[in-house]
Amino acid sequence: MTAPHSQDDEVEERSAFIHQEILKLATLMALAIAAFFVTRAIAASNRRMTERDAGEWYVRGERALGDGDSTGALDAFRHASVMKRGDRQYTLALARALVATDQRDAAERALLGLRESIPEDPEVNLELARLEAALGDANAAVRYYHNALYAPWPAERTDARRQVRFELIRFLLATHQSSRAESELVALTSDLPNTLPLHLEIGDLFLSVGDNQRALDQFEQALGLARQDRTALAGAGRAAFTIGDYEKAQRYLRDLPDPTDDLRNMRAVAELVLTGDPLATRIGSTARRQRLTDALSHLSHALERCTALPDHSQAPVLLHLANETAATTNELAHNHTLESDAIENGLELVNRGERAVTSACPPAQPLDRALMLIATRHGVAVQ
Amino acid sequence: MNAPAPRLQQLRLREHQIFLILSIVIGIVAGLAAVLFTVAITQTTHRLFGLAPSRTRLLLVPPLMSIVTGVMLAKLFPDVRGSGVPQTEAAYHLSKGVIRWRVPFGKFLTGVLCIGSGHSMGREGPSVQIGAGIASVAGQWLGLSPKRTRDLIPVGAAGALAAAFNTPVAAVLFALEEIIGDMNAALIGSAVVASVASVIVERSILGNEPLFHVPAYHLVHPAELVIYAGLGIVGGLVSLTFCKSLLWLRGLFLRLPPRTKAWQPALGGVVIGVVLLVSPAIMGVGYDYVDQALNGGLVLKTMAALCALKLAATVVSYASGNAGGIFAPSLYIGAMAGGTIGLLVRHFAPFPTAEPGAYALVGMGTLFAGIIRAPMTSVFMIFEITQDYQILVPLMVANMLSFIISRRYQPVPVYHSLLQQDGIHLPSPSTRAGSTNRTAGHVMQTDVALLPPDLTIEQAWRRFNAEAPLQYLVGADRHLVGVVQFEDLDKALAAGKGAKSLWSVVDHDFIHAHPDQAIDVVLDRLSQAGGILPVISRTDANHLEGVITLDDLLRRTPHTGGEQPVTSAT
Repeated sequence: MTAPHSQDDEVEERSAFIHQEILKLATLMALAIAAFFVTRAIAASNRRMTERDAGEWYVRGERALGDGDSTGALDAFRHASVMKRGDRQYTLALARALVATDQRDAAERALLGLRESIPEDPEVNLELARLEAALGDANAAVRYYHNALYAPWPAERTDARRQVRFELIRFLLATHQSSRAESELVALTSDLPNTLPLHLEIGDLFLSVGDNQRALDQFEQALGLARQDRTALAGAGRAAFTIGDYEKAQRYLRDLPDPTDDLRNMRAVAELVLTGDPLATRIGSTARRQRLTDALSHLSHALERCTALPDHSQAPVLLHLANETAATTNELAHNHTLESDAIENGLELVNRGERAVTSACPPAQPLDRALMLIATRHGVAVQ
Repeated sequence: MNAPAPRLQQLRLREHQIFLILSIVIGIVAGLAAVLFTVAITQTTHRLFGLAPSRTRLLLVPPLMSIVTGVMLAKLFPDVRGSGVPQTEAAYHLSKGVIRWRVPFGKFLTGVLCIGSGHSMGREGPSVQIGAGIASVAGQWLGLSPKRTRDLIPVGAAGALAAAFNTPVAAVLFALEEIIGDMNAALIGSAVVASVASVIVERSILGNEPLFHVPAYHLVHPAELVIYAGLGIVGGLVSLTFCKSLLWLRGLFLRLPPRTKAWQPALGGVVIGVVLLVSPAIMGVGYDYVDQALNGGLVLKTMAALCALKLAATVVSYASGNAGGIFAPSLYIGAMAGGTIGLLVRHFAPFPTAEPGAYALVGMGTLFAGIIRAPMTSVFMIFEITQDYQILVPLMVANMLSFIISRRYQPVPVYHSLLQQDGIHLPSPSTRAGSTNRTAGHVMQTDVALLPPDLTIEQAWRRFNAEAPLQYLVGADRHLVGVVQFEDLDKALAAGKGAKSLWSVVDHDFIHAHPDQAIDVVLDRLSQAGGILPVISRTDANHLEGVITLDDLLRRTPHTGGEQPVTSAT
């Protein structure tokens, strides 16, 4: 009979205890909730303080950079980026400081870490591209440059993408990837604002990749904006000269005040080409004969001067060419009708002779260059 | 008449449910405490040192603050020195889970001041003690049974550690592996619940930021496993150096007169001030620098120097009696040691290797496994930090080697050794398992005569001669100071030292047993002792509970039945 009685007691006791326990637990929970909000407020205040500190370190870093103290800047940026982890601005600054102190691997890790969280950030990709370029990994550099190019740039930075492409083109040129650079240049011209500096810069880059026609286009567009711009005149003259448009080259270079020796020489050559070409259009047969005779005469004198030099190894070849020139000159004097074939043959001889002379007795004079260019211009040189 | 039985069952079920809810609340409160502790340390450091501390501040702040904390630790909160993990283990195993409210409060206060003032110590150990203390205080306030109150200790510890380190699984494992000492403990459910609740709270306040930002590392070349094994060996040796030097220096501090106790932390503060002048990077918890090591932001010389300096600074800070843990320093030292090896490997290895950060990461695990001696926790902790399976194999190889080396040359784990230095002996797992009903407490005789320590050697020798035991216990009023062998007295007397005090020949490091130890342990120890086995308290190594002789053992071990003895008559 005692057992049920004690069970009843236990039930009663436990019930009372549980009731009391629940009440205390509820109090504890209420306290926990209050503590949660207090802790959250304190933590938020702490976070603000840390962010302020990070900002202060960043400012110190910038100041140190301004003073040329790369190590101090690095230390400050490191503090800033540790205090506010994953912050784009601080990590970028840290990476730049690491590069400045020649810690490129660490910079790469910092940027790759940042890129994990913001893979499409244009500046992070651009910094990575520069870093890979400096580390010599051209493929990775181009990949990151492209990432930066196609990343969403802020609307207010309208020219940022263009600048990245310029940078990429310069990198491609520096690593001798002219065809890729040319492709990027062509892409660059597709949405180019009509401004003088841009046309000049792109024209110059087209010249570097050897696309002279596009270079000439760009310089001509630049001249359309500023007729007397010296850089544009020089660039246009050079591009026109290189593609064989000597009329344009002469015109642009003639308009150029105070040309450099190189450009002055180029202008002189262009004028000689225009005035000495026996196959030029709109000239009479007498003029053609005269121009060819002058060319042969110049070659003859050049060969004579060259062969006169002592102990010349090319002497037999030059003598043979001198004889051939004399024979052709003689033939030209006695032949009253001048066929175009005869002119081309004469030009071919002049070209061959000039090449031999300039090879054996450099340097080439403007007229020597002009005669060779005339031959090239009419496709005679390849015979 | 049978109605109360199902009602009783229902009430018992309700009790279990309440305990589960209590575990959640404890997890939340412990998590909040851990977050507050972290924030308070940051704020204190900021207030004391500013953004870029001057040399004067670096030199003066640690000793000056240590004067304040030294007095607090000596006079107000004597139970909160050091890490807090050993004290929590002792509370769980020896004090029925009772922790006074002053402990978590005092630990919070002194921990914040010590770590915030630049001492090279961690916040996880104190968080564990704070969490466990809050749990125990809550259990006592709710009027829970001693068993339930005791059960709350690992729950609170797991909750606090989960929030302090943002690694919920590792926190549960740590509570089981280190605090309870049993991976199969029934409390795993409550610990998991508390840990999850704590992490949710912590992440909702601080955000879901991992403690370290670690790139994905993996094994680059199979031969790297050999290097990771080498890192495990180095980690084991560094762990040993840390543990041995910590225990040695702490032993020296403990031998200083008790009146110096309040000033000892300041002495440590002076050393830390000087070290901070050399390298402020060892200040406090130092996770910023661990992060840099993991991300390859430090150079070889810096990492090697920081490894050595942090080790020395932590030993000094801890041994001098400041409040703070060794959890974070072990990770710091490991990261620097691993990073150093990683950089060397990168330079000299004839095959492609992982980034130095990968070695720093594994180094963290090896030092944790070697010092804290919780290998499972260490593996899961690194896994939780990186969330990457790729590094697990090298990590396990290195951890196991470090653990084996550390255990081979430092058989007693550092937390237990620290307790032993304070005269507290935790029960071994077999004792805790209670494989036998008969223990030393059952067979010991409690009426013991001790040899007074103020006797001269000659007086003691005469007593020996009269009574002829092989060894004698020295002490008074159950306060045991050591044992003395007749052979030693004989030698001292022959050397003409008869007038000297008995103290000079007393052996303070003697073989002993505890009341809860099984008879087989007693038998084993008795065979090594000189005929008398002192039985001492677990919570006070100088308190003599009784003694056991072979006679006691034979006389007081009753026949337990079973088969009848076979005799010639049968």
